[in-house]
Amino acid sequence: MTTSVTIDTQHREEVTEQAQSPVHETQKIQVAQPKSNGKKPNYELLAAQFDEIKADIKRKVGAEDASYIRRIILIQRICEWNGRILLMLGFIQPLLWVAGVLSLATAKILDNMEIGHNVMHGQYDWMNDKHINSRRYEWDIACDGSSWNRVHNYEHHTYTNIIGKDRDFGYGLLRLSNDFRWRVKNLWQFATYIVLSVMFQWGVSYHEMAAERVFFGKKKDNRKNQVTHSELKKRFFSKGARQLVKDYVLFPLLAGPLFLWVFTGNLIANLLRNLWTSTIIFCGHFTGDVETFKEEDCTNETRGQWYYRQALGSSNIKGGNLFHVLTGHLSFQIEHHLFPDIPARRYREMAPKVEAVFKEHGMHYNTGGFLKQYTSVLKRIIRYSFP
Amino acid sequence: MRLLLNKFTDRILHHGSWKGYWEVLMQQFKPAWRDGYFRARIMAVKNLSTDMLEVVLKPERAWPTHTAGQHIALTIEINGRLTTRVFTVASGADTHRRTKCIRLVTKVKAQGALTPHLHSCLPNQWVNISAPMGEFIVPKVEKPLLMIAGGSGITPFIAMLDDAIEKAQLNNTPVHLLYFAKPNEHVLIDELSAFQKRCENFSYSILTKQKDGDLEAHLSYFADAHWLVCGPNAMYEQARHCAELISAPLSSEHFAALPAINSSSPGQSETFSLLHNGETLTIDNQQSLLSQLQQAEQPVTYGCGMGICHQCQCVKKRGVVRDTRTGELSDSAEQLIQLCVSQAVTDLEIQL
Repeated sequence: MTTSVTIDTQHREEVTEQAQSPVHETQKIQVAQPKSNGKKPNYELLAAQFDEIKADIKRKVGAEDASYIRRIILIQRICEWNGRILLMLGFIQPLLWVAGVLSLATAKILDNMEIGHNVMHGQYDWMNDKHINSRRYEWDIACDGSSWNRVHNYEHHTYTNIIGKDRDFGYGLLRLSNDFRWRVKNLWQFATYIVLSVMFQWGVSYHEMAAERVFFGKKKDNRKNQVTHSELKKRFFSKGARQLVKDYVLFPLLAGPLFLWVFTGNLIANLLRNLWTSTIIFCGHFTGDVETFKEEDCTNETRGQWYYRQALGSSNIKGGNLFHVLTGHLSFQIEHHLFPDIPARRYREMAPKVEAVFKEHGMHYNTGGFLKQYTSVLKRIIRYSFP
Repeated sequence: MRLLLNKFTDRILHHGSWKGYWEVLMQQFKPAWRDGYFRARIMAVKNLSTDMLEVVLKPERAWPTHTAGQHIALTIEINGRLTTRVFTVASGADTHRRTKCIRLVTKVKAQGALTPHLHSCLPNQWVNISAPMGEFIVPKVEKPLLMIAGGSGITPFIAMLDDAIEKAQLNNTPVHLLYFAKPNEHVLIDELSAFQKRCENFSYSILTKQKDGDLEAHLSYFADAHWLVCGPNAMYEQARHCAELISAPLSSEHFAALPAINSSSPGQSETFSLLHNGETLTIDNQQSLLSQLQQAEQPVTYGCGMGICHQCQCVKKRGVVRDTRTGELSDSAEQLIQLCVSQAVTDLEIQL
């Protein structure tokens, strides 16, 4: 408590002098639906407070987190092979097949969210483990991990919700704010959204490949080592093909006469995972109150302004323990965007402190139950279907 | 078979290795079972003096026995972090064959990442070790041997003597050991005297710089011997210099002690060397590694430049870096670092 008070007084004084420039800049921000009543926080103080929350947790990160992620990986392995075996036992009792599908879907969700996404963010790099780190980890979806890592971590996490820079905002398919000009195709964007959800892993995969071209293609300064487009294409097709072969050729063939049981089981497990991840991610970024920013906002951005943008560009979902684990703690999307490389399970204990800081600065802490947030997403998609 | 399994794991399960894929499951049954490491069980941890520690390990059966003089990398999980340090095996290969155990003798460094934790290692705890490495072994020569040890540099000689005396190899070659250390910090003297009793060709002198003067004064008596040196850099340099003068053959293993790092902010500008891809660059401690690599026109992938996106992450093989955001110092062993928020604190070796 004492420390935060000291920081308070220290920074209040400094800021009165500096206040002019950042405020001028940020006045240009056009928010989709300004909930944070246009008032800008004290950025210096905000940065200091978030830094303190981060430092506090960082001190605690250790053995507990290492054994947690190993336990989740263990559960993933068990679910995956349990599922693959049960799929082949469907001829004894179809319910076994259903259990198999659910088990495999759970494994795929864990691999995608709590393990893949978080490990590839570098949240567990401090463990010095040969396999559990952001350089080596590769996940069980169509998208090539290192391509995703490059674009997601750089583009999406650095330039969150900056229209024109963060193409994750609407994925170039959906119009989710007035920053985009209305087009006729937006009329049926709800259907586009459904298709995107069903095919989500392929959407992500294609998205990351295209991103490299669009994004890095423009910038030629000293990027000699940047991956070439043909290399990316190769990765896109190689990873994609491997996924197709694995789920729809290899494992079904291994099942022999039960080819179709396994084929269908894998198809449904992938579908469930796609719907789940897409829904969670949409709830984290496209609820009604999530704000957008302009390219000018991030030039010469201070750490405080970056935090501010991260904070307002995301939304949380309330839920139980299992729910949070299955979302890979992306139900704490706000905390994830503020502290992308802290082990995600720690977001739970950070959330109350983060919320308190939001409150102090009069910022809107966007959270709610799953139904509320999801309805809000659907409304937003429909709302911006029309001009 | 293993290659095939690894290929399968890589293509289908998207994991670097078959063993690695099942690692977490195997660990449920075999603690510390790890892809790419051998397992070993801690049998005993004992104080030899105030800051010297003896650790007895029992490696798993698959471990290829060392040759006396070689070292191993010891990896222990400390608060969730796998921490690795290199230690010389201070016991003979023959002893390992007989007792199935090896012994490490190390100085406990209060600020060290691993040694202070050895105390809290419990008997029967499982740790990881590497296969034995190193070229510092007893040379096959017909000459008398002179062993020159400095401080904890005594360890490989203990292993060599243990083996040579056990196998009665010293019957024709006289061996003398010059053992330098700070006053009252000589360890394992009882073992040396036991060796001397068992083998009349072996003799030793316990020396301190304060009382017995510099190493050089003692070397002239051994001009016809093959010299073996293990100790700090300064000592090695002295021995090497003398050996050159009288053209005595010399084998050595020497360690550069880490320079004392005390400040947590980069004070004066200093320059260090950066080894990468077989090339050595000169870098300073004021700018980030990323900007210096870019200035040197090295091909680096990078992104945000502020430590968020992990695009410029690379493997630091050795050396210490400072995190520019927090001032935190890294470990000195192999680690992942982000170039854009790292500054050099010592000489570095990285792998992009």
